[in-house]
Amino acid sequence: MESLYSEIVVAGCGNPLFADDGFGPAVVEKLKDLELPENVTVVDAGLGGPHFVFTLLNPESTKTLIIVDIADFGGEPGELRWLSVDELPVGSYRDAHSWDLTEPLQYIKDDIRVRVLACQKKYVSSPEMVIGITDEVQRAIPDAVSEILKEIGVNYGTA
Amino acid sequence: MTKVVEISPTTRLEGHSKLTLKVDDQGIVERGDWLSITPVRGIEKLAIGKTMEQVPKIASRVCGICPIAHTLASTEAMEASIGCEIPTDAKLLRIILHAANRIHSHALHNILILPDFYIPGTEKKFNLFANEQPARSVMARIVRIREIAQTIAAIAGGEAIHPSNPRIGGMYHNVSPRAKQKMADLAKECLVLVHEQMEFMLDVIRNMQNREFVEVGGKQIPLPKKLGYHNQGVMATAPMYGSSSLDDNPTWDFTRWKETRPWDWYMGEVTIDLEDPSYPIGGTTKVGTKANPQMESCTGVPTYDGQPVEVGPRARLATFKNFDEKGTFAQHIARQMEYPDCCYTILNCLDNLNTSGKVLADHIPQGDGSMGWAANEAPRGSNIHLARVKDGKVRWYDMLVPTTWNFPTCSRALTGAPWQIAEMVVRAYDPCVSCATHMIVVNEKEKIVAQKLMQW
Repeated sequence: MESLYSEIVVAGCGNPLFADDGFGPAVVEKLKDLELPENVTVVDAGLGGPHFVFTLLNPESTKTLIIVDIADFGGEPGELRWLSVDELPVGSYRDAHSWDLTEPLQYIKDDIRVRVLACQKKYVSSPEMVIGITDEVQRAIPDAVSEILKEIGVNYGTA
Repeated sequence: MTKVVEISPTTRLEGHSKLTLKVDDQGIVERGDWLSITPVRGIEKLAIGKTMEQVPKIASRVCGICPIAHTLASTEAMEASIGCEIPTDAKLLRIILHAANRIHSHALHNILILPDFYIPGTEKKFNLFANEQPARSVMARIVRIREIAQTIAAIAGGEAIHPSNPRIGGMYHNVSPRAKQKMADLAKECLVLVHEQMEFMLDVIRNMQNREFVEVGGKQIPLPKKLGYHNQGVMATAPMYGSSSLDDNPTWDFTRWKETRPWDWYMGEVTIDLEDPSYPIGGTTKVGTKANPQMESCTGVPTYDGQPVEVGPRARLATFKNFDEKGTFAQHIARQMEYPDCCYTILNCLDNLNTSGKVLADHIPQGDGSMGWAANEAPRGSNIHLARVKDGKVRWYDMLVPTTWNFPTCSRALTGAPWQIAEMVVRAYDPCVSCATHMIVVNEKEKIVAQKLMQW
């Protein structure tokens, strides 16, 4: 268990039952294998980002929120890209209550630094259930981990 | 003359559902069908052949709202099948996790229903996102309650949303004495807040009960005193946690459960002949559209003793605490009354938790294919997972989640309500539609469902 209400929150969003949509949780799983600084909390946000993640951010202590998810930005499958909140299309992230994530992110972006690490999806099976991330997106996981480590200022001497 | 009106999709609940309503000349529902239109996903089939450790992880992903309830029910269904008793301290951590889940889920539900209600003493509807009081302080309190409950869940369960600590045979880790103290501090702070929140909500709900009318889409709609009443029974397995087939005296009986096909229950094809473009949000379905609830429903109809039953907070309070109110407002009231119990449960468990105690069973059998079930009282009601595990692999799996039970019961409870407030009746069940969606395979005579319909 990381420290409560930490400075940096990394939230992996998505559902591993829908093929590449499992990217966010898979990155979180890899990050959890590492020794991370005390000021970092890594959360597998699943599908509940909009209504779960915001109550884990404390405006007094949280400085950075890093969201990890798949996206369709027209890149090659597995390509990673850092996006700002302003680049997220309205309605692109909705939870099961039809709550939009983009709008609340707009609200908090002046108080909390929000970074979105997006991976170009290849195949999302929703609503059919398919377990397993495509090879291209799978290969992006280690790069995503090192991108996040760079972002949170961790250097294991491998970079 | 009976007319048919349809609200699709319903709003401010989890997942996609719709209401097909036959109404009289006054717009009062004569027969209502509430059904899931979330696509069937076949989770139970996906589980077959997986290891007993994998399936709880899979089950936790069927919905973004209640991963905790599904992780725990699924894990315990596996344990029930293989006959594995877990250490007391592991059980205490699970109960803490479960109670924390109920707190933040109930708080979320407050956000979803409050826009239906009025600020007591005024004619003003609640807008929780407004800057004015009392909306601002109520929202701040709800957010803090959720923050605390998720943090307690994170400490006991390893993670706030998808708990990583529960495992077959117990838990991966116990907590440190410091973490135990932190949970106790948070639960005490939460206790004060949930008391305030409960009292506030009870005021709001009682105020609404005393109203004659409610405004929907710019019209005054009469509010019946018996809103949401039905004659079905209630089902609950425990006031707080749950029961499993490993218990000496299980409080749920597998043999009393049957599942019926939706086409034996819901109405057949109808044509919409009443519409209201002013109904929020975006109006009702257009006149001339065909609807066929029998074919469109994506859930089976579970029955207990041959009848649909209500599950959830009112069912729990009626079963275990002699709560005798009925209907939509009683469900809301019961839900608020559960808030403090959750905090007391967490504090009691912490009092008994030995942070040096072991949290994993010495021996974890691999199973001989026996049927095991576990029910936990999820925020929305009895969440029953059933499994057969043999040689560590899941051979059969089923999930009877709360909203599956509530769909047919709530459909009956719609009768007598003005159609414009049918959604209020639905919302009182705190529906969680996504995980309720699963394909049934047998009818009441244990026959496989018609192939034609399976293909559909």
